[in-house]
Amino acid sequence: MAAQPKLLPVHQPSYLEGGGIVGWLTTIDHKRVAMMYLASALFFMAFGGLEAMAIRVQLWTPDNHALSAATYNAFFTMHGTTMIFLVVMPLLLGFFGNFMIPLQIGARDVAFPRLNALSFWLALVAGILLHLGWIRGGLPDAGWFGYANLTERYFTPGLAIDWWVVGLLVSGTSTVLTGLNFLTTIITMRAPGMTYMRMPMFMWSMLVTSILILIAFPALTIGLIFLLFDRFFDTHFYIASAGATPILWQHLFWLFGHPEVYIMALPAFGIISEVVPTFSRKPLFGYPMMAYSICLIAFLSYGVWGHHMFATGMGPVADSAFAITSMLIAIPTGVKVFSWIATVWGGSLRMTTAFYFALGMILEFTIGGLSGIMHASAPIDLQQTDSYFVVAHFHYVLFGGVMFAILSAFYYWWPKISGRMLGERIGKWHFWLTVVGFNLTFFPMHFLGMWGMPRRTYTYGADMGWTHLNQLETIGAFILGIAFLLFYINIFKSLISGERAPADPWDGRSLEWSTPSPPPAYNFATIPQIRGRDAWWILKYGRAGSRGVAAYMAGRPPSQPLPSEPASVEHIHMPAPSIFPLVLSLGVGMMGLGLIIDWYRIVIMGVAVVVLSVIGMGFEYPNFGEESHDPEHAPSSGGIDVRKIGVWSFIGSECVFFASLISTFIVYKSRSVTGPGPEILNIPLTSFSTFILLMSSLLMVLALAATQRGDTRWERIWLGGTVAFGLIFLCGQVYEFTSFYREGMGLTTNLFSQSFFVLVGFHGAHVAIGVLWLSVLLVAAMTGKLGKSRAMSIELAGLYWHFVDIVWIIIFTLVYLMQAVPGA
Amino acid sequence: MIRRSPNTYSIIAVAMRVAIALAIAGCSETGRPMTTLAPKSDLAQWIQSLYIDVTVLDAIMFAIVVAAFILAVFVFSSRVGEAAPASTASSDLGLEIAWTLGPALVLLMISVPTIRTIFRSQPAVAPKDALIIKVFAHQWWWEFDYPDGAKASNELHIPVNRPIRLLLESPDVIHSFWVPQLGGKRDVVPGQINELTFVATVPGTYPGQCAEFCGLSHANMRFRTFVDSQDEFAKWDKAQLAGPVATPASDSLASDGAKVFADSPCTTCHMIQGISKGYIGPDLTHFGSRTTLAAGVLQNTPENVAKWIEDPQNVKPGANMPPLLLPGPQLNALVAYLESLK
Repeated sequence: MAAQPKLLPVHQPSYLEGGGIVGWLTTIDHKRVAMMYLASALFFMAFGGLEAMAIRVQLWTPDNHALSAATYNAFFTMHGTTMIFLVVMPLLLGFFGNFMIPLQIGARDVAFPRLNALSFWLALVAGILLHLGWIRGGLPDAGWFGYANLTERYFTPGLAIDWWVVGLLVSGTSTVLTGLNFLTTIITMRAPGMTYMRMPMFMWSMLVTSILILIAFPALTIGLIFLLFDRFFDTHFYIASAGATPILWQHLFWLFGHPEVYIMALPAFGIISEVVPTFSRKPLFGYPMMAYSICLIAFLSYGVWGHHMFATGMGPVADSAFAITSMLIAIPTGVKVFSWIATVWGGSLRMTTAFYFALGMILEFTIGGLSGIMHASAPIDLQQTDSYFVVAHFHYVLFGGVMFAILSAFYYWWPKISGRMLGERIGKWHFWLTVVGFNLTFFPMHFLGMWGMPRRTYTYGADMGWTHLNQLETIGAFILGIAFLLFYINIFKSLISGERAPADPWDGRSLEWSTPSPPPAYNFATIPQIRGRDAWWILKYGRAGSRGVAAYMAGRPPSQPLPSEPASVEHIHMPAPSIFPLVLSLGVGMMGLGLIIDWYRIVIMGVAVVVLSVIGMGFEYPNFGEESHDPEHAPSSGGIDVRKIGVWSFIGSECVFFASLISTFIVYKSRSVTGPGPEILNIPLTSFSTFILLMSSLLMVLALAATQRGDTRWERIWLGGTVAFGLIFLCGQVYEFTSFYREGMGLTTNLFSQSFFVLVGFHGAHVAIGVLWLSVLLVAAMTGKLGKSRAMSIELAGLYWHFVDIVWIIIFTLVYLMQAVPGA
Repeated sequence: MIRRSPNTYSIIAVAMRVAIALAIAGCSETGRPMTTLAPKSDLAQWIQSLYIDVTVLDAIMFAIVVAAFILAVFVFSSRVGEAAPASTASSDLGLEIAWTLGPALVLLMISVPTIRTIFRSQPAVAPKDALIIKVFAHQWWWEFDYPDGAKASNELHIPVNRPIRLLLESPDVIHSFWVPQLGGKRDVVPGQINELTFVATVPGTYPGQCAEFCGLSHANMRFRTFVDSQDEFAKWDKAQLAGPVATPASDSLASDGAKVFADSPCTTCHMIQGISKGYIGPDLTHFGSRTTLAAGVLQNTPENVAKWIEDPQNVKPGANMPPLLLPGPQLNALVAYLESLK
């Protein structure tokens, strides 16, 4: 192998060393968290894979009885749910994202390390909840997109769907926290000199994916909350006889579901954009276009959800609109494919397994993309949707595109992550078996779809002419199974006896290769100065045109001296470990478990555990309200406090949360079959509480101003006033709700009442949380713990408080005032 | 370079289309009754021609990608350790504009006929003299109500060359109506009435199936569509409107079966005109005239009817019909009676 610069010869302890079991359970090191994501994803991947194999066994012959209908339905549901929520996303975001984001931007950890650990433990709890059906109540069995109203308790009694709803809610929370964390990290913690246009393309994909997560997942959360209310509290959000429409679920689900496709695909694009230049030994072709196309794909992905619903009868206008937006996505996607090929073009290729998988991805993904164009054409889609053609399409995208990229990333980054190489020989076997098995399994599905085989059918007739291709696919599935077995063997062999990896085995281009393999806990002894795109490559070889480049062209090792002496590492303070992320997640798990098995004592215990963990975490901050926990990053690269970006990201996500609730209210308010309607609303009373809430915002501004000028007396008064006004608002709301109950309008009375109570109730909960938050600050102010230097704490609470007030203005206008206008 | 007239291009294009159509049809027509590639209605025909156009364009785009890929990996690149790479270009505005505009033009070519077909296939009002049939999708069987009062279960009869307008309703969960040879699917959604409009052009029998996952026996929610000539359809319709063809002669096995039926719990759910008024399950008035039973899962033979009545769950897991536990002679009589209901 050419050009292998020796780096950092001084031994540095790897992040994997030390700490024992407790060290892992309490870790908040992004690399250890990543490793735990890996372990859980590989575990669940075995489940999902075996379920797929069982499905293929059942379809071997017509009228087969290898699996019962119930088992088959559970298996395809769990296969999809597992692979998406417990395997692909955890691998892309939790594993590669977590590990590589700080390393690629030159940071020591993510912005909120404890939140990061919490994300992982919540994800694990979600995975366990989703699988508890094995023990009690049966596995979820309504498909991964669980269409209402089949998921209502009347049609699917039992616990199976309950596990699914609660599991996905927890999983979604975990993902949103991850998105918030990653977005903040990339915005604020880039090393000096790393502008956005100098970031590795994987960082671009992570940045945009995080934004997509924040705006897509709330739609799913709302859909699931409605379903949860329907199943547990007897509302009728999806029940047609109450005037509702089950199509609401599809809108909410796909408003999440289509961006979700890109939440999985964009990181895959990012990986390929890292691997291809490295092994072609050329810079990425068309970097700016590649970055813009990621943004454009993300933007468009939010406006195409309807193409999953062409068959539901949306009407020709909506069909046409969604057809066009869906087709538009093909343009930026095409740019990516051509740019990758142009990167390879003229390159000096090193044919490693990682590169094999990347090249394979380009072709397999193109097939999936092209069949996607067919689905964008609504009339064609009406023949193909819910047939095996669609199954072929999304497996070409999600396996041929995303899984190939994940496998490529494994071979590429594993030496950095584990300090050991993966076997190249076994890797090439793994690659070719995957290619053969994958295409044998999924290409014939195009034909089965064209021949009319519907998906999600546990059996089929012998007279349909589908038998032979099904058998071919089953053979393919087993070849694919062997390929994955080789993959697992390769990983374990590498861990036990793999060749030691040098720091920079592939002559890499980005910063992670400047650290030892595996990296030390603090990643970088000194935070590097970034001088251009492909930061590490420039450090090694200098800018284009220099002597180093000539050496590089000739395949010689770089002549430029490399930083080989680590600076003293004693000054680096990493955040302390914490047990609370784990404990808090256990509390959340108990809440879910207790709710489902109808044992409310466990719910209450869970709530107590969560509350105590939050309090415990609060006391863990030794310097409550310090500007930043990492002095080297204060202020951040953007000049803005890390926590401020975090709160802004959260607010962005909450916008979609409330937008979904408000839209549902607007659709449902006049569809009630019986009972009271908007005329029951007490406008004078609410006008008063609205005024109070607005005034509290004013007091909040005054409180912040007082703190900033160091006036502790008025700080306490204004803060106390804000809390008091918030409480008055809440009391008004309690009074309003109880008077509605007295007048006979309960939660389950009709569509109006349930969408009103859920919308206004969730807003009230937000106000309550804000009041709690401000009360904590008030106590801190009273005991003299707040002051000028900690004005940021007040500013953060203020941001949230103002946001909650603005949402109330919108709710007050749309829910209350619009009713006063006749005909509105 | 040879100059080709525009004519040559259009001939090539037509030839390619014909070749692809033949290739598709050739490997799919026979023995695949659910194929989407053998259109038997105007709707299916429109989709088919759009389909072929897009397939051709997709194939061309794939060929371009593969060609570029092969050239990049195997021709215009070197392996590490070999001579210096041929190019280090990391951007090229002309190329990038080309591969942005190229696909955009292709998509324009697809979107125009797409939108035309979308509007053409979803007329807001029923065409003149359309036959309007109500379709009720149940877990897990199909019910068809004709405007003249005729009812059918799991076997839809329609006349050829007459516009058909299906009004799709669901009393339980979401289903999807799909007869591939007659066109694309349309979901059957509780709380809303969806429409499907088409003209069947070739008489024949076309199987269909529910295409939206609707619970345990989703796979067993099949049906058949019979496209009849106008005369045959009129005859069938008339027969449906009348009661059972003949009451069985006394002392026959079938007449014993009639008594078994009348005393059995069957009557709670099934209607036989003049005998029982159940409406939860399929109407059995003309049971013997159907070719299949249990929503297209079994051929209508006496053995299969007995098998179904003995243990419905075995044929269709989750079905509402309980096992009747009849002794053998009574079961045989019941089967004979049902088969006599032409």
